[in-house]
Amino acid sequence: MKSHHIIAAACAAVLASGLTAPAAAQAAVALKGDVKVVRQVTENGRTSEKLEDPNQVLPGDQLVFTTRYTNGGNERVDDFVVTNPLPAPVKLAKVDSFEVSVDGGKSFGALAALKVSGADGKPRAAELGDVTHVRWRVASIAPGASGEVKYFAEVR
Amino acid sequence: MRSLAQARVIAVAAVAAASAPAVASGVPAGSLIENTATATYTANSTSQSVDSNTVSLTVDEVLDVAVASQESGLVPATSTAVLRFKVTNTGNGPEAFTLTANPAVTGNAFDAVVTGIAIDVNANGIYDAGIDTALANGAASPVLAADQPLDVLVLISIPASAAGNATSKVELSAAALTGTGAPGTLFAGAGVSGGDAVVGGSNAQANAQATLVVNKAAVSLVKAASIADPFGGARPVPAAIITYSIVASVTGSGTVTGLTINDPIPAGTTYQRGTLTLEGATLTDAADADAGQGSAAAVAVALGDLVAGATRTVTFKVRIN
Repeated sequence: MKSHHIIAAACAAVLASGLTAPAAAQAAVALKGDVKVVRQVTENGRTSEKLEDPNQVLPGDQLVFTTRYTNGGNERVDDFVVTNPLPAPVKLAKVDSFEVSVDGGKSFGALAALKVSGADGKPRAAELGDVTHVRWRVASIAPGASGEVKYFAEVR
Repeated sequence: MRSLAQARVIAVAAVAAASAPAVASGVPAGSLIENTATATYTANSTSQSVDSNTVSLTVDEVLDVAVASQESGLVPATSTAVLRFKVTNTGNGPEAFTLTANPAVTGNAFDAVVTGIAIDVNANGIYDAGIDTALANGAASPVLAADQPLDVLVLISIPASAAGNATSKVELSAAALTGTGAPGTLFAGAGVSGGDAVVGGSNAQANAQATLVVNKAAVSLVKAASIADPFGGARPVPAAIITYSIVASVTGSGTVTGLTINDPIPAGTTYQRGTLTLEGATLTDAADADAGQGSAAAVAVALGDLVAGATRTVTFKVRIN
């Protein structure tokens, strides 16, 4: 009885690995998005920033959008690129270690190097409010590794 | 739930398109902010793509208002006046505001009387009864959309005791109907679509002042007589002709309206027909298109509206019986 049981378990394991191998390749990495409101809190004369749940959000408030990535597979993934279109009611609050797009995600670069068409039809330097997408590049993620990307935005 | 969520997304898209030319007061209350990240990567030499969950939050309502006087200087008033103000919803959601006109401003030489408030529907700066919407003092305005201005007229009566050239300030204040308070004061669930309403930097109330100046023009009449007797002298004897002149002068400030001079013919004299003049020009005795009329009983000259500093001279002749 006992040996028979072990064989059955081994078969199940083989069967399971055979089935899950392609599934793991499809979704080795999971993304988890989150948003917080950045509040300036003054306590004992010292001002500090605190992140709160966005129970109340008003124009001018600063938000931080976070995307946590986890490689849940058992293979390393390469050329990991996270692209995040900005919601229309917000504008980018500051540049950071990411590339931005001011043309709806067609091209990316450093904000200072980008131009947009001004009101007079002539090109002008792109501003934070012109940013439509942000993008992060991570060369590789080891199996089981995780990380986080984030951007700060202000409610228009 | 799904269909509800879709309906909200569609509504937001419409709002975003409508508000494309940057709303001064920020994105409209009720706007949905939805964020989704997408990742691409290579695993086992195969390109893969994955989306994050979508985080979603709704923009709450800010209660803010601005009030500005539309009067550029002192507003002259004799007995009544209209003061023009503009009330603007500087919040990001629809809101009504209570409108209160206060004539008792510290430092006033006298306090005017507020007889009413009106919405200047046809935006002509004048109160047109039956066209403009009358409001009781302290009543609420109609609901104003975000950024919408409202022309408000404050109707004023000047007390008879007010001295000429005295000035008086009148203050119009507007307060969000939802509530007022220090910035950040929360009215839970009172915002758009059941969201919160939060008091903005204006404390959700604002006021502005306009200044009245009492226009008290005064009229002085100076009457003089010269006599020509039949003998070439100036004695008041029978058959002598008396020429009366009446000089009307407007003093003080402002304008007198509808000024008329009436002078009875003195007893024992007879009005000489055709001798009535205004500023040297003869007026017919008949009650007709010209300004004057004369009869055996009296002369009358309508001078109309005269500004301060103006003078008018009327003359007529009588014969001593």
